[in-house]
Amino acid sequence: MQRSQYATEWMVVGLITLTTIAVAETKKEYRFDVGAKSKVSIINQYGSVSVKPSTGNSVVINATTYSDRVEVDHTQSGNRVDVQSHLLSGATPENSRVDYEVLVPSDASVDMESATGPLHAEKLHGDVEAEGANAAIDVRDISGSHVHVKTMAGAITLTNIKDGHVEIDSVSGDVTLNSVTGPLVRVSSTSGRIQYDGDFGYAGEYRFNSHSGNIDATIPDDASVDVKAQSVRGQVLSDVQLQPKVHTSFLVKEGSSFAGTINKAASSVWLRTFSGKIHLKKR
Amino acid sequence: MTCSEFQRELPEYMEDGGNAELQSHLKACASCSGLVTSLESIVREAHYLQATDEPSPRVWNAIEIVLRQEKLIRDPLPRHSILPSLRQRWGIAAWLVPAAAALLVGAGILLYPPAKGGQNANNQAPGLRPTASAAKLASDQSDEQLLQEVSMKAPMMRAAYESNLKDVNNYIRDAQESVNADPNDEEAQQALMDAYGQKSMIYEMALDRSLP
Repeated sequence: MQRSQYATEWMVVGLITLTTIAVAETKKEYRFDVGAKSKVSIINQYGSVSVKPSTGNSVVINATTYSDRVEVDHTQSGNRVDVQSHLLSGATPENSRVDYEVLVPSDASVDMESATGPLHAEKLHGDVEAEGANAAIDVRDISGSHVHVKTMAGAITLTNIKDGHVEIDSVSGDVTLNSVTGPLVRVSSTSGRIQYDGDFGYAGEYRFNSHSGNIDATIPDDASVDVKAQSVRGQVLSDVQLQPKVHTSFLVKEGSSFAGTINKAASSVWLRTFSGKIHLKKR
Repeated sequence: MTCSEFQRELPEYMEDGGNAELQSHLKACASCSGLVTSLESIVREAHYLQATDEPSPRVWNAIEIVLRQEKLIRDPLPRHSILPSLRQRWGIAAWLVPAAAALLVGAGILLYPPAKGGQNANNQAPGLRPTASAAKLASDQSDEQLLQEVSMKAPMMRAAYESNLKDVNNYIRDAQESVNADPNDEEAQQALMDAYGQKSMIYEMALDRSLP
């Protein structure tokens, strides 16, 4: 009998809690008509931003807030749409979260920021910039664009980025690149791990640098690369048969550096770390 | 006058010495006095660095590129300078931006010492030591100030910033040692610039958080 009473009390408490959350949660939709190659900026302080392509020439932003300590400011200037979470008096990281679901024309350029994230963008042809101190960042299915990503501690995953100008900076977040190719792919990390799985495209320049983070690159048999790898204090391994180079810009030392080519050496790959481990693997 | 009122007027004080009310508060307040001393130290060190070894245009170009990439400097706005807008958002923390920039300038000067006839890298090293230690001291003070600001604005983020600053400072130390070992090693130079770039990114991210 007493157990049944406890259960009832807990159910009432739970219902009150859920009702409070439901009342505090507010969803609003904002629509903007734009032309070709528009620019959309979403500056969030705390909370997620997810950007996907729309079907027409409109930008649709669904914003969910969870308290009255934050409001959504929005402006449109011609082809440019700016949306920003505006924190009000009494705001804290906990009560000022806003979650954005954004639809943009596929040729739009997108700039998104959030300290906590996560940040997500997919299936776009315009430039993508994503930044967040602790935000996990996921960008996929982008072609012919600049993709610039910055985090301090958030994990970064880029998937299926074709013909991209890719620049990634992360201090401690792990960086994972799957099928990422383009004329320039640069990753700079301090302690985060860098993982690349792909063929390094054709005629691109790939530079992966870290301080203590490991660097792993997995390539298929038909990859065409000129690869250099050096770890100042760590170990360097290659499971791939390389054609040795006659001249290198650094002293090749077994176990801590290597340089060589595979097939026609179309792309240049430079892997460098201070104390991390470098491993070139065959897929 | 309160400390926060003084800190709001700090840029004016640093520019022209401020009015009698500012000077009076400064005399009475150890906290603000210490702050001004730190800022003046950074400014002094920046002048000292410049006077010690005037770097080549390549240094300034490299620094400007990094600062622009990190958005620490931008194209000039029509009417407002960057300082008032930062000051409105971050008060005293706005001074961390020029502090970070001063660190980058210091990195550039240490990175690209001008060639001197008959002098090798070993001969230059002792002369650079005081500058390097002064830069480290200024860096430590700026880091601590940044962490204090993060603690006030977003306490849950402090541990992450502290840990990442520590990692980046280790990166800078190792990269600096590599450059010292072989000043002509372009990869080591690039690594040092990357390391400072990562540090300025942390500063930028901390300053971008704008709780009211």
